[in-house]
Amino acid sequence: MSKRHANLLQGTLDLLILKALTAGELHGLGVSRRIEQITRGTFLVQPGSLFPALHRLEEAGWLASTWQTSENNRRAKYYTLTRAGRRQLGEETADWNRIALAIARALDA
Amino acid sequence: MPLMSRLSSLWRNLVHRERVERDLDDEIRGALDLMVQEKTRAGLSASEARRAAALELGPPDALKDGVRDIRAGALIDGLLRDLRYAVRLLRRNPLFAATASLSLAVGIGVNSAAFSVTEAALLRSWPASAPERLVRIVATTPEGQESSFSYPDYRDLRDQTRALEGVLAYARHGTMLPIGAESHLVLDDLVSTNYFDVLGLSAARGRTFGAADANRQPVVVISDTLWRRVFNADPSVVGTTINLTNRSYAVIGIAPPGFRGLERAVPTDLWIPAESEEGETALGNRSSREFELLGRLRSGATPAQTRADLETIGRRLALAYPAVDQGRLMGLVSERDRLRGVLFPAFLFMTGVGLVLLISCANVAGLMLARYEARRREIALRLALGVSRRRLVRQLLTESTLLALVGAALGLLLAAWLLHLQPALMPPMEVEIGLDLRLDPGVVLVTVAASALTVLVFGLVPALQAARLGVVSSLKSQEQPAGRRRLALSLRSLFVLGEIALAMVLMTASALLLRSLLHSERMDLGIDTAKHVVLFDLVPGVAQYDAQRSLLFFEQAAERARSVPGVAHATFARRVLLSGSGGGAEQRVSIPGVVLPQGQPSIRIKFNAVGPHYFETVGTRLLTGRSLTPADASSSPRVVVISDFMARRFWPGVNPVGRHIAIEGRDCEIVGVVQDARINHVHESREPYLYLPFAQAPVHQGTLIVETAGDSHLVTAAIRDRVRALDPNVPMTVRTLDDILRLAFWQDRMAAGFVGVLGLLGMFLAAVGLYGVIAQMVNRRRQEIGIRVALGAGRRSVLGLVLGDGLTLATFGTGAGMVAAFGATRLMSTLLYGVEPTDPLAFAASAAVVMLVTLTATYIPARRALGVDPITVLRCE
Repeated sequence: MSKRHANLLQGTLDLLILKALTAGELHGLGVSRRIEQITRGTFLVQPGSLFPALHRLEEAGWLASTWQTSENNRRAKYYTLTRAGRRQLGEETADWNRIALAIARALDA
Repeated sequence: MPLMSRLSSLWRNLVHRERVERDLDDEIRGALDLMVQEKTRAGLSASEARRAAALELGPPDALKDGVRDIRAGALIDGLLRDLRYAVRLLRRNPLFAATASLSLAVGIGVNSAAFSVTEAALLRSWPASAPERLVRIVATTPEGQESSFSYPDYRDLRDQTRALEGVLAYARHGTMLPIGAESHLVLDDLVSTNYFDVLGLSAARGRTFGAADANRQPVVVISDTLWRRVFNADPSVVGTTINLTNRSYAVIGIAPPGFRGLERAVPTDLWIPAESEEGETALGNRSSREFELLGRLRSGATPAQTRADLETIGRRLALAYPAVDQGRLMGLVSERDRLRGVLFPAFLFMTGVGLVLLISCANVAGLMLARYEARRREIALRLALGVSRRRLVRQLLTESTLLALVGAALGLLLAAWLLHLQPALMPPMEVEIGLDLRLDPGVVLVTVAASALTVLVFGLVPALQAARLGVVSSLKSQEQPAGRRRLALSLRSLFVLGEIALAMVLMTASALLLRSLLHSERMDLGIDTAKHVVLFDLVPGVAQYDAQRSLLFFEQAAERARSVPGVAHATFARRVLLSGSGGGAEQRVSIPGVVLPQGQPSIRIKFNAVGPHYFETVGTRLLTGRSLTPADASSSPRVVVISDFMARRFWPGVNPVGRHIAIEGRDCEIVGVVQDARINHVHESREPYLYLPFAQAPVHQGTLIVETAGDSHLVTAAIRDRVRALDPNVPMTVRTLDDILRLAFWQDRMAAGFVGVLGLLGMFLAAVGLYGVIAQMVNRRRQEIGIRVALGAGRRSVLGLVLGDGLTLATFGTGAGMVAAFGATRLMSTLLYGVEPTDPLAFAASAAVVMLVTLTATYIPARRALGVDPITVLRCE
């Protein structure tokens, strides 16, 4: 799988964003970099997908945001996981594991 | 909670839009800054870092749109945004917005109103439950189809029919209702007691008639309109008695709201059971045909079975009463037959109006194309800034829809206003008449949809093209590829050409109708229309006069009128020519030595009963013999004056004066022949006519006819006072010959006026369209014109250059229109009198007007071409 062109499966982006934020609050670009880091560069999230997804998750109540002053004195928006988001991450992780297991079994058969 | 959270987001997004947008701006800008920092840290130069970051982030507008699209309420929000933008654009181009929306409004308004009229006048079915099962019963006679029957015939039909579930009869009458201190004419229908039952209607209050009402004390059902107008919607009026023409009636019920009787244009105020009027009317007389019949088909009965059933009854009646019913075949007109009959006139009417819609749509299409030309750069720019094509198309769709909606709203206002004009356009009559007009939701939908579709198609198609076009090429050159531009312009020219052609068709139609009207108004009607004649309709019968006393009354009235200074002649007659009051009264005439068609013993001929010197008073020329004089009294030998047509038909080449004929079995000498006069309508075909001396055929109602030296209200007032003094209880209505003529030509004038207005509208719209195209051409050719002027071209040649374009469009448009009109005007041959549908004068005149108007529309922008300053234009290059 070439790392630049990996298509995110439907729903995986949400999972990855939620996961990326478990370690603490991040701004939008930080989320993108963190995903790149934890997937060891397999997934590169384009801004065109990232920002709509962040806003969607926020509107769903899984993320909360605060405005803080960044290093260069700009207003920057930082996202954190809410309690509902943490619960959602748990559910989605369980789902994902079930599916991954099922697919792995299917491919081994 | 996702739901609560989404709802609060929705609230925030819609209510605190600005803050949400500002936050989004900041967030994206922040992300860009961070990226630049990252890149700089990685060792790129400042400008390289900026470039790389911008590339990675993508077009900011697209990014924002992506976020906006997933927001709660994105749909509403987007729509509002598009709408705001569209309103701003339209306000920035008020001329375009006004022309386009007014064009649409005219098309939609005129069409909606016209269809409402067609629907009310022709297409609407009977105001009854299950109207498709109602049929009109008709009689086919050698003279044609007629729909009136005598009450005895009705009774037999009602009792004998098997195929019809019920048959109702109604006859139109007028009666005097005291309202306040004065008596007013109201229209009543004498009806069979099953009238409301056969229609399937029940009273809104009280009850309708029952079989028992036939012979009891007189009862009446009043219309909802009358109830509101005269009785102030007082429910307690049911059960009281009202006075109608000196007889008292118990009000037993109020008809359902909206029910106006069975005549479309003449609403009924009251319904009275015919059988309780026995004695007053000729209910028992089989030869007095005053009633119209409607039958209700038994469910499951086919029109064919019903027809056979009616034919059997008709034959039985003809056998039983040969004197009156021979030669009358009974039949029926089903609702489907009736609709088939009115389809062509409805189609013709709507075609004329539809042309205006077509012109206005073509106009809007042209405007939209012009606008696309102007907006190409804007669209390209927005695409370059990263607006998604989907959003762009949605934006353009919103603009077109907004335009269509504004046009539709204005159009419906216009339609409603046009329908309100009806009372002003109705013929001058004593009673209020008019159709029950409502805006039909179906047609409103169709016209609005047609216009909206035009706007959408012509607003969107070019926009889509633009969206597909290369951004760079559109931005780089102000000029577009020449081929494309010429195409857009020529498509627009084609629309204008079509508009001119359609306007030409409408103008030709109006010219023909105008010629026809002028011809009709010049026609010899058989009376002298230049005379000042005042008519006093008098009904001595209301004051309980019999025929003989009525005669005396009229003689005295004429005498009193003659004594007023300024009166030239005064006489009286049973009826006034062209008065539209039916005039169907006939006498049975047998003529010795003349064999009548189908061996009938006698023929029915319409007649008038007139006082002495009638012909001199109204100006009907005596051709041979003598006029009627006071010497033709009741006791004198019976005499008659006949019409020229009758003389030629029965005594070709022979002078009939001195011959004898039998009228209603009584011998009568022909003493004179007068020119033919129109009896009921301006355009009726000629038929034989009789003038009997009033004294020898008196009736208890008639008209005092007075010729005055000038148009003087004082003279009229003096006569009115003197006649009223004779007996104040005799109801009187005053009219003038002019009133009658106005009524007689009302239809012709309405047709000419209506089509004329359509023609002018079409012409105006086409001129606006042409103006737009020429103005655009001038704009496009500014450089060329500037160069020409710089090279020494004179005013004339510049003007000629532009006028040439307009002239080409006008010539081809008019030519195409002429060809179309040549095919179309023959459809209206039934509306034209004394002028051929291909009348060269009408064609030439319309072509001249169309050319003149189009050239004027060209000249105005052409003059602007003269103002082009070569220095400015060339410097711009």
